[in-house]
Amino acid sequence: MPDPDQHIIADLKDESKRDLAFHLLVKTYQERLYWHIRKMVLNHDDADDVLQNTFVKVWRSIDKFREESSLYTWLYRIATNESITFLNSKKRKSLIPLGEDNEYLMDNLTSDPYFEGDEIQMKLQQAITRLPEKQRLVFNMKYFDEMKYDDMAKILDTSVGALKASYHHAAKKVEEYIRNTD
Amino acid sequence: MDELKKIAPELAKIKKENPFGTPDNYFDDFSARLQLRLEAEKKATVPRKIRFADILKPALGLAASFAIIFMLVYVPLKTFMPNERTEVSAVTDDYDEAGILDYIENIDESSFVSLLNEDENKDVFSDDDLTLYVSANFSDYEIYEKLENQ
Repeated sequence: MPDPDQHIIADLKDESKRDLAFHLLVKTYQERLYWHIRKMVLNHDDADDVLQNTFVKVWRSIDKFREESSLYTWLYRIATNESITFLNSKKRKSLIPLGEDNEYLMDNLTSDPYFEGDEIQMKLQQAITRLPEKQRLVFNMKYFDEMKYDDMAKILDTSVGALKASYHHAAKKVEEYIRNTD
Repeated sequence: MDELKKIAPELAKIKKENPFGTPDNYFDDFSARLQLRLEAEKKATVPRKIRFADILKPALGLAASFAIIFMLVYVPLKTFMPNERTEVSAVTDDYDEAGILDYIENIDESSFVSLLNEDENKDVFSDDDLTLYVSANFSDYEIYEKLENQ
């Protein structure tokens, strides 16, 4: 059975089929990328902006896609970079003091009208916002998405060992926050 | 999962679920909204054809500005300044200081005195005026000497 991504990639490189192939790519990956982005930026409106930015970047960079990585890895990498760029830009504009980065995320979380979790879920999310950016990314990808370390290594361009260590530290910190906060 | 129970038992007890929601039909509409944005960006990035007039426009604008300023200053001056003023200026401009000095040096003394007296001669003096002038400016001795010499 042929890989559906191969079919999309072939059509994306064909000028006459590009629009339709891109539409298919968006339909295929929009939800997965949205949830990946949403867990990083927390707020729906911000996630919507970043998801659009991600697909615009994909549209502009189609010719640069060399198929050295899978389409799935390439898209996740762009979405991750766009999320980090967006958060850094928001932090700069909000003039948040150094070391208080999580305040912005906490505000984003508590002000989001589309948060549907219960109290314990809110507590878990608050614990995650307190993690350093890289650990937060790794924790979300492993804990919620149950992504394989090998795939994460390709997306984040990091070794599997480093990712395991990051996840271990992140889980310990989250556990500590849950235990010690009422 | 077993590893998580070991390192974070409280975390492992929490049910894994997605606590985030989206507006209704968000994913149904997303593709159409993205398409609109891409269309807008395509239009915005289409390069405009550069015309020759576009290159000349700044230079023409500058030249027109200078022409307007010149007309606003020169035409009123030309219209309202008296012609005589212009002519007198033209004549006086012909003489320079060196020319006047040359003229004075070349003239002989008697001509110079007569030239100076030319206007004065036109004045009419009475005998009383003359007597008063002589007595005020010359001593008796000088008057006597002048009369003896004649």
